[in-house]
Amino acid sequence: MAYFQSSAELKDVLGGFFQRLVDDPEIGPKLREAKLKIQFQYTDPPLSISVDTGQEPVVIRFDDAAFKPEVQLSMKADVAHRFWHGKVNLIAALTRREMVAKGPIPKILKLLPVIKPAYDLYPEYLREKGQEKLVLK
Amino acid sequence: MGAEFYQFFLNTKILFQPGISGDFTNELSQLKIGSWLLVTDPFFAQNGVADKIRAGIEAGGYKVTGVFSEVPPNSELKVVQSCIELAKQGGAEAIVALGGGSAIDTAKAANIVLSLGGDLVEDYSGTQTIPRALNPLIAIPTTAGTGSEVTSSAVIFDEGTQRKLSFNDAYLRPSLALLDPELTLSLPPKATAMTGMDALTHSIESYTSVQTNPMSDALAMKAIKMIHLNLLKAVERGSDLEARSEMLIAANLAGIAFDQAMVGIVHAMSHATGGIAHVPHGMANSIYLPYGMEYNLAVRTERYAGIAKRLGVDTTKLDTMGAARAAIQAVRELRASLKRLCGLPDRLRDAGVQEGQLEEIARTAVEDGASFFNPREVVYEEVLGKIREAY
Repeated sequence: MAYFQSSAELKDVLGGFFQRLVDDPEIGPKLREAKLKIQFQYTDPPLSISVDTGQEPVVIRFDDAAFKPEVQLSMKADVAHRFWHGKVNLIAALTRREMVAKGPIPKILKLLPVIKPAYDLYPEYLREKGQEKLVLK
Repeated sequence: MGAEFYQFFLNTKILFQPGISGDFTNELSQLKIGSWLLVTDPFFAQNGVADKIRAGIEAGGYKVTGVFSEVPPNSELKVVQSCIELAKQGGAEAIVALGGGSAIDTAKAANIVLSLGGDLVEDYSGTQTIPRALNPLIAIPTTAGTGSEVTSSAVIFDEGTQRKLSFNDAYLRPSLALLDPELTLSLPPKATAMTGMDALTHSIESYTSVQTNPMSDALAMKAIKMIHLNLLKAVERGSDLEARSEMLIAANLAGIAFDQAMVGIVHAMSHATGGIAHVPHGMANSIYLPYGMEYNLAVRTERYAGIAKRLGVDTTKLDTMGAARAAIQAVRELRASLKRLCGLPDRLRDAGVQEGQLEEIARTAVEDGASFFNPREVVYEEVLGKIREAY
């Protein structure tokens, strides 16, 4: 069964988490420094989250068809959920087509060390949000 | 611990035989394509090789709709676009690419749009963006270096943004790679040397990257040994068909290895140097290889020690670190021999790089995608130090 039952739930959880990342004193400044225009295209359930870390405040929009990302990452919402738990090897996911990346991949790869602390932050965030059931063991 | 994950997949049929590029109608009949566009560079269009291959295809009853011979040393978007237009005008269903990495990469990129339509950059730049198998692509390498005939990537320069665009997808691998060493006999000594060092760099970096796997390891080690035994021979005596054959096969094995395991800091520095100072890729790899190995020595000691044996070093009286250092020394000696034989530069200053460009090269190298696969974090200050040493 899919982790997220609806686009609204996915939006609430991941949208809120992205905002948490932007506000994080360790991760946030590095994301801003990267000035990345990225769009996540999720399926099962469907949702698109567009992020522009070059803007102040950082832009986070949902289902914005007009957004022109530099990099677009497409995946099932379940893959994203496992990724933010640190349970998905990005390169393996790309190799196996669990993720599709459009645009300059080095920009994404460069961010991997930056977002590493997020793997601990995500389960913590889910618990704070009362979404303990979503935390993967 | 061994690899946490690996996948090995090769959807390219590889045929090796001296003279095979003159007659591969048996393979053409299996591909069931009636009309082909031949993509090559001006050199092979003028020296008669393209004509010979065209004649071979036509003799089998297949149509060659045209020859696109405008591929420059580093392909560009506008070149790919012209190639696509020529293919469409003539009604070509598929492509035969003849040449080095640039010709094959041009053909790979053109084949995406020829097969699927759409916009090359908007729809397909990136990783795993191609939704289904493309039309057949036949690659005939004329250098023993890039391994592009078996890799799942293509690099095309975007003149508009002044950036190199990368396309990575298993569907980009050619359907058929024809390894004909006779086509490499005319390669001048310096080009032989730099492309051979490119192949050696692919082997060594894939064997020491963060994404090594048992399959790529085996291929890389075999390639290192073959290059050690044959590169100098091929440079010294270009007509040595056996050495040319071994080098072509070694480059092919190295291509498969790095396509699976990726490369590291040497390629990161070379990509940056190519973009900023226009140093040919193989030459830059040759200059940087020992410096990149030194950079990773502490974290890949055992692997370099293993490489030493394939480079002909007697390691029986050496400890692991001693053997690893001997591998780096063996690479330096190989470069020295190549410099003596054909003038292949071993310093950046001799390759046209200006001292004022070094910092920009280091900054760009740190951001290069290959740096991500390096076994040690690629840190600006340290990379700059190595680049200065290489200067």
